[in-house]
Amino acid sequence: MVGPLEQAILALMIFVIMLGMGASLTPRDFTLALKRPYGLMIGVISQYGFMPLIGFVLATTLPVSDPIKIGILIMACMPGGTTSNIFTYFSKGNLALSVLMTVTSTVFGVILIPVVLVLYAGALDLDIPRENIIATLVLLLVPVAIGMVLRKLNANVGAVTEFMGSMLAIFFILFLIVSWIPRNWEFLLTTTWATYFGSIVLGLFGFALGYGFSILLRLHPRNARTVALETGIQNGPLAIAIIAFTFAGTEAQAIMAVPVLYSLFIVITSTMVTLWFRRVNTANEQPLPNGLL
Amino acid sequence: MQDQSHPWTAFYGPSVRKTIDAPQYRTIGDFISAIAEVYGDLPAFTTCLPNGMNGTLTYAQADEMSDALAVYLRETAGLNTGDRVAIQVPNCLAYPIAAMAVFKAGCVLVNVNPLYTPEEMAKQFVDAEPAAIVVVDMFADKLVEAMKGHPIPNVIVTRVAEYLPAMPRGIVGLVQKYWDKTIKPITLPHIRLPDAVKAGRAKHAEMHNALDGYRSTIDPDDVACLQYTGGTTGVSKGAMLTHTNILMNMEQTMELIEQFEKGKEVALTALPLYHVFAFTVNFLGLYSQGAHNILIPNPRPLSNLKRAFENYKITWLSGVNTLFNGLNGEIWFQDTPPKHLKFASSGGMATQGVVAERWEKLTGKPLLEGYGLTESSPILTFNPYGKSRLNSIGVPLPSTVVKCVDEDGADVPLGKPGELIAKGPQVMKGYWNKPEETAKTLQNGWLLTGDIGVMDDDGYFRIVDRKKDMILVSGFNVYPNEIEDTIAAHPGVEEVAVIGVPDGASGEAVKAFIVKRDETLDKDAIRAYCKEHLTAYKVPKAVEFRDELPKSNVGKILRKDLRAEEQAKVENA
Repeated sequence: MVGPLEQAILALMIFVIMLGMGASLTPRDFTLALKRPYGLMIGVISQYGFMPLIGFVLATTLPVSDPIKIGILIMACMPGGTTSNIFTYFSKGNLALSVLMTVTSTVFGVILIPVVLVLYAGALDLDIPRENIIATLVLLLVPVAIGMVLRKLNANVGAVTEFMGSMLAIFFILFLIVSWIPRNWEFLLTTTWATYFGSIVLGLFGFALGYGFSILLRLHPRNARTVALETGIQNGPLAIAIIAFTFAGTEAQAIMAVPVLYSLFIVITSTMVTLWFRRVNTANEQPLPNGLL
Repeated sequence: MQDQSHPWTAFYGPSVRKTIDAPQYRTIGDFISAIAEVYGDLPAFTTCLPNGMNGTLTYAQADEMSDALAVYLRETAGLNTGDRVAIQVPNCLAYPIAAMAVFKAGCVLVNVNPLYTPEEMAKQFVDAEPAAIVVVDMFADKLVEAMKGHPIPNVIVTRVAEYLPAMPRGIVGLVQKYWDKTIKPITLPHIRLPDAVKAGRAKHAEMHNALDGYRSTIDPDDVACLQYTGGTTGVSKGAMLTHTNILMNMEQTMELIEQFEKGKEVALTALPLYHVFAFTVNFLGLYSQGAHNILIPNPRPLSNLKRAFENYKITWLSGVNTLFNGLNGEIWFQDTPPKHLKFASSGGMATQGVVAERWEKLTGKPLLEGYGLTESSPILTFNPYGKSRLNSIGVPLPSTVVKCVDEDGADVPLGKPGELIAKGPQVMKGYWNKPEETAKTLQNGWLLTGDIGVMDDDGYFRIVDRKKDMILVSGFNVYPNEIEDTIAAHPGVEEVAVIGVPDGASGEAVKAFIVKRDETLDKDAIRAYCKEHLTAYKVPKAVEFRDELPKSNVGKILRKDLRAEEQAKVENA
C-alpha cells in the first residue's frame, strides 16, 4: 500500500516540514510560551488529553481489527499538523497561537506520545513498540533544531524554508490524492465502514471538544477557533512515518489505512469547519482599521 | 540670539550648537554621496517582510544605483533640472534608490501616497505635473485613470521585493500574483526599475562626469521636494521644500539628538517614507548617522513588525501615537520588548501621556515627542533626551524660534495659550502654485502653524490643540486633546476622538467617539470617569462607541471626518 519509494519520499517530506517548523521559531518563542503557560496548557490538554481519549473510545466501540485500532490510537496521539496553521489563517483565528500550539505539541510529544500511546494500548491489550516510536520522535527534533539554526544564520533561508515546509504539507495531501488513491482503489472499496467512520470522526470530535473546551474557559472566539482546529487537525504524515519506521509488512500496511484516510478527509472537514467559523464569527470581529498604520 | 527670548537653549546638551549657520552640504545629492564615502560597506537599507524575508543594500550600493538611475532620468528619460518626479512606493529598497536618484539628477521629488485613489492621484499629478513616476506594481493599475488630467511620459515600475535575493523575491512575487492577487496587469508602457538602473549604469560608464554636470545646475535654494499636505484641512497643497530646508532640518534634528552613535544604530522605519517625518528623520537623518535602516513595507497588522524586532537589534524607532499605542497592546511586544532600544521618537499627532507612560514602563526607554509641520520640513521642536516631559512637544531646535501669539499677532504672556508661529531655516519657500495660500501661512517671515500652544516659563512648549478643532461650550474654550487624553487613560478604552457638535443650549457640545478595549464598557462609566477628572463643561455630553475611528494613511485620527458625519446628520434631520 505504501511502497519503499513512497516511504522515502514521505521521510524527505517530513524532514522538510519539520525543518520549516523549526525555521519559524526562535528560542524566544519557547520562553514566551513558558511565560504564558495558559495557552500552552490548553493545547497540551486538548492534544494529549482529549484526542487520545477520543481515539481510545473509538477503538473500543467500533467493530474494527487490531491493526485499525492501533492506527486510530496512533493517529489520535499525534501532535498538531502544520496544515492547522493554514486553516487557522483562513478561519481568522490566532495564527501565532496556532503555530505555537503546533510546535509545543510536537516538542512535548517526544515524551507525551509514547506515554499516552502505551497507556491506552495497554488498556486495549495491544502491542506497541515504544522504543521505536521514541527514537522516531527524537529523530524528528533534529530537523526542527536545524531549522532554528538556519533561521538564526540567515533570515532569508529561514523564511524560504518555512514557506517550503508549509507548502509541502499541502503537497502531501495532493500526493495522496494523485498518487495513492488511484493505486489503492481496491483497498478503499474493501475497507469497512467502521474504519472510514473512525478516521473521519476523530477529527470532527477533536474540533468539537477543542471548541467546547475553549468556550468553557471563556477564551476569545479567535482563540477558541484556533484551539478547535489545532485539536482536530493532527500530523498525518508523521503518523505514517512512525508506522512505516516502527511496524513491518502487512501489519504496517493495515495500520496505515487510518492515517491515510484521516489525512484525506481532514482536508474536507477542516474546510467545512473553517467556512462555518468564518460565517458564524466574522460578525463579532473587530475589523482591522484601514490605512498603513 | 540670546537668551531671554530663547530660554530653551538651556536644555541643549553641552555639545549642541545653539545656532547652525548653514548646512554642511550644498545639496541633498552631495550629502548622499559624501555619506556613502564614509560608510561604504555598512548596510544602509533593509526591506523586512512580515515573514522575515529580506534584502539589503549597503551605502555604496545605494549610492551607485542611485547614480545610475539619476543618469537614466536625465539621459534616457530626458528630464531636466527642476522637473518633477513622483514616487509612489511603500517602504522598500526601491524608495531610497529612487529618491536619491531624483536629488542627484537635480529633479524635484513628489511623494505620492501609494494608497491614494485614482482621483486623489490625478489631482496631485495635475498640480505637480511630474515628468516621470516610480510606482510600485501593486498600484500601477491606478495610473491609467490617474493620468487623465496630466499624462506622465515616463513610468518606472518597481516592486516591494525589489533587490531581495532571487529566491525570496520569486516567492513574494508568486504569492502576490497568484495568492493575494494584488498585482494587476500594467497596460501602460513602462520600464522596470532594475532595467532603468542597468541602462543608466551603461550610460554612466560612457559619461563619467554626468553627475557633476547635473550638480552644477542645482542651487541650494532650489526646490528639492514638493511635499503635499493639507489632507487634514481639505485643499491639498504642495509645500516647496528646498535642499537647504531639508538639509538644515535634518542637521538641526540630529544636532539635538546626541544619543546616536555613528555607524552603530539600527532604525525601524514603520512610518511610510512618503510622510515628511519619516522622510527627513528616518530616511535622511539616520542615513547621515551611518545607521542601518529597516524598512517595513506594511506595518498593518502590527504583528508584521514581529520578525523585524526578532531579527534585528533595533536601537531606535519612530512613529505616531497610534503605532505606540498598538505596540503597547501586542502580547509578543509586551513579552519581549526590544532589548537594544535607546529611545523612540513620536510625532505627527499629539502623543497621549498615557501611551508614552505605558511605553516607557514596557521598554524602559523614553518616548520623545516632537512637533512640526510639513511646511517646516517638518521638525520645529523636540524633547531632549533625559529632559523629556510628558504631554510636551519639547524645545525648539537650534536656529529655530517658536512663540505664541494672539489673533492680532501680538505675543501672549508666558503660560498663556496662543497660536504657535515659527521661524527657521527649515521653513518652506511657499506652496507650489498657490500664492494666496502661501500668503495666509507665511507672514513677515513667520510660519503660522494653526496650532494653539503654550510656552512654559523655561521654554518648553505644549500643544493645546489645533486652532480649528477648538470647541466653544457656552463661551468656554474646550480643547479636544485634553478630553481625549483623559478618556484614553481609562483602562477600558482602546482609542478615542473628541469633537464639537452643534448644540442648541450651549452653542457647541463635546462629543466623544470611543473604540472599546473592554467590551463591557458603557457610556455612563465614561461620563462618570470624566466627571471625576474634568470640569463639568468639559465632560462629553454625547458618547458614541465605534468599531474603528477614521484615520489618515499615517494613522492620524481624522476629527474632520467625524465632524463631517455629524454635520451631515444635522442637515439630514
